[in-house]
Amino acid sequence: MKHARFFIRPLHLRSLHALVAGLCLLGLTEMSLAQDSSGPSYEEIAAGFADPTRWLTYSGDYSGKRHSPLTQITLENVKNLRPEWTFQTGTTTRGRGFETSPLVDNGVLYVTGSNNYAWAIDARSGRRFWQYRRNLPNDLTYGASAPVNRGFGMLGDQLFMATLDAHLLSFDRRSGDLLWDIELADYRQGYSATLAPLIVKDKVIVGISGGEYATRGFIDAFDPETGERLWRFNTIPGPGEPGSETWPDDPDILARGGGGTWMNGSYDPELNLIYWGVGNPNPDYYGDSRPGDNLYSNSLVALDADTGELRWHYQFTPHDLNDWDSNHMPVLADVDWHGEQRSVVMVGNRNGFFYVLDRITGELLLGTPFTATSWARELDDDGRPIVLNDGSEGCVPDPWGSTNFMPPSYYPELGLFYLTARETCATFVPEEPQLVPGQASFGGVIFIDEEPSYGALRALDIETGDLEWEFTYPSPTFGGVMTTASGLVFAGDHEGNFMAFNARTGENLWHYQTGSRIWGAAAVTHMLDGRQYVLIAAGTTLTAFALPE
Amino acid sequence: MKLYNKKKKIHKPLFIKVIFSIFLLLSVGLSSSAFAQRNNPLEFDPRAPQAGGLIFRAQCATCHGADARGISTIDAPDLTLIWTRSETTDSSVFDIIQQGVSGSIMPPHGFPDTEIWMLVSYLRSVAVGGSVEAFEGNSNRGQQLFTENCSQCHRAQGFGGSLGPSLNSITSRRTQSSLKNSVRAPSSAISRRFKPIEIVTSAGESVTGILKGEDAFSIQIMDSYQQLRAFEKNGITNVRRDLPSLMPVFDQASLSDSELDDILSFLNLSR
Repeated sequence: MKHARFFIRPLHLRSLHALVAGLCLLGLTEMSLAQDSSGPSYEEIAAGFADPTRWLTYSGDYSGKRHSPLTQITLENVKNLRPEWTFQTGTTTRGRGFETSPLVDNGVLYVTGSNNYAWAIDARSGRRFWQYRRNLPNDLTYGASAPVNRGFGMLGDQLFMATLDAHLLSFDRRSGDLLWDIELADYRQGYSATLAPLIVKDKVIVGISGGEYATRGFIDAFDPETGERLWRFNTIPGPGEPGSETWPDDPDILARGGGGTWMNGSYDPELNLIYWGVGNPNPDYYGDSRPGDNLYSNSLVALDADTGELRWHYQFTPHDLNDWDSNHMPVLADVDWHGEQRSVVMVGNRNGFFYVLDRITGELLLGTPFTATSWARELDDDGRPIVLNDGSEGCVPDPWGSTNFMPPSYYPELGLFYLTARETCATFVPEEPQLVPGQASFGGVIFIDEEPSYGALRALDIETGDLEWEFTYPSPTFGGVMTTASGLVFAGDHEGNFMAFNARTGENLWHYQTGSRIWGAAAVTHMLDGRQYVLIAAGTTLTAFALPE
Repeated sequence: MKLYNKKKKIHKPLFIKVIFSIFLLLSVGLSSSAFAQRNNPLEFDPRAPQAGGLIFRAQCATCHGADARGISTIDAPDLTLIWTRSETTDSSVFDIIQQGVSGSIMPPHGFPDTEIWMLVSYLRSVAVGGSVEAFEGNSNRGQQLFTENCSQCHRAQGFGGSLGPSLNSITSRRTQSSLKNSVRAPSSAISRRFKPIEIVTSAGESVTGILKGEDAFSIQIMDSYQQLRAFEKNGITNVRRDLPSLMPVFDQASLSDSELDDILSFLNLSR
């Protein structure tokens, strides 16, 4: 009985008593008792932002919009936003970022950090209830070069975390005790896992990192109670399977074709479809050994949540030579599309294009550049890019791409899609790599010209892809975006600023220097004791902001 | 805890220590890659740098750049400069490649020892070359000339200013001809950390200096009086970045070739 673990830890009991006492003082006894019993159910996760005190899944809801209905912080008062507390992780990822999106439930933050640290933190004080640190092996492969994590998944009293040695863990959310630990894949081959698990009904869905190595990507579903695997979707088809015709007729090549699935997906409960981005084929830059489109690399796949069966796919970058993984948060919305109601999925892609697809059928509705990319400027009638420059001729977006996995945001009332754009310039020189398990096989080198590069927060009109406004940053940026229904955009940049903008005009309204580049993280917001908090991770700190009382 | 302390006081019999030491010695002798300071067995193999270059391009270039000069946005250091640090040895570079750098994204690498030595050979081959030619000038005269012409902005031998790069041990990183070129034509190559900038504030003040830092809202500079100053961008009316180097051009009339040799000889003292 995993629920019993909660009563073993006296320290945690004390904290919870304090919490309950605090809530009683505020006249919230009933609610606190009700919430004491267990964490969120699937139905509560599916209800998204219905309870303003909670943030229960990576993007706040299944749609990936990262658009909160909270309105206490406004265009007028955001200039008064101030830090309430700062949490120090004590663990660094020099060269990368603190990429987590905290989950929030009943006044407690559940936070994962670099190097597979994790914490439960008091949302009022920033003080921690417990800390977990995984004892990682010394011979990590991909996990050593990207020792990051993007967050927990949560269901009931369980938390789920993916690890750098490619395991999936389940914890008791109250004690931080480990409930089970299963291997996703052999990290020695190059596998790792960094994403926040997605909870769908009675399943825990995860993807895998390691496309820089001779690996084969997949999306897995697990039983949350036992850790038993329920289905697997291989992103690179097996011999004879649909999609294998886009590869050489060689089982060895298919078995190591890459196609990582290292960024979170989104979910449509009505259609019961999971939307997930797939990464680069391997070798990254050398394509001569893998002629063909190399499905389902650099694609968006729509999978049946119960079975993992592929419903449809769309490939953004056929036969990728530039490491432009399509590992982005797919953003789901129901929109007025030129006078017609459509259910769409939107992707700002690493290849420099912004896409809108019908999420029922996979039909392409729009694909247009949002950067100055010289790789391609338009798609043909079949939705394939008309490639002008594959990178060997110079100056296409660098391998980090025109944007990356940092979350974008969609503001339904404005019809605007906000994303962090990176304007960069690189030359790709492919070379045939040796394929050795556990060793990276990029397949070439890149020359990056750092001088003219910059970053920008851009607002795109989703019906046309037109640039509504932009705010430029001095250097290419990895900070993510969140919007709130009060007309605000929150974004972070590579120089460490956490900022608020007018969503309609792009006017900067507030900024706070966090002291470290904001990399991969996007803001999270929730209500607590009648006040709206905004959280951002940067460097080794998590900071909570609110308006003065 | 107390039990542990007690245990620590128990002494091992001498013969166990001796046997253990012999075993250690043997294992050092037998295993070429453990513990001791090692020399690169491929040091004189002319094929090693080329082979190492292939490995480098396949395994290292994504972070350190195809030219090994690093990528600043991910804190990947310029590897052509590592040999200018006196503590760097073939052996220490070997260890870093094999074990990675703790607390950074530089991972350990399970390459065979031979391949790591090839990488060491490659990194030796791309090391930024110092001056190998003999220094012709008179370092005493050079010190005086340095004091008169250079020390206002440059530091060497423990004195001088900070507007320009420190010239301590510069001859171990740059050739004499490239140093001379920097004196005759300072704007031909300006280091990234010494880009000139001119700012006009809304109060009408014009400030020239070196750009030290910048974000979306502020600029940090060292002004030409070597004061660190920061400006909010909303208090700035104009910024110019397309300026020549703040270093004056020293032509033959202001500094003869032999005087320049004297200065380089002085700088070579701190090599």
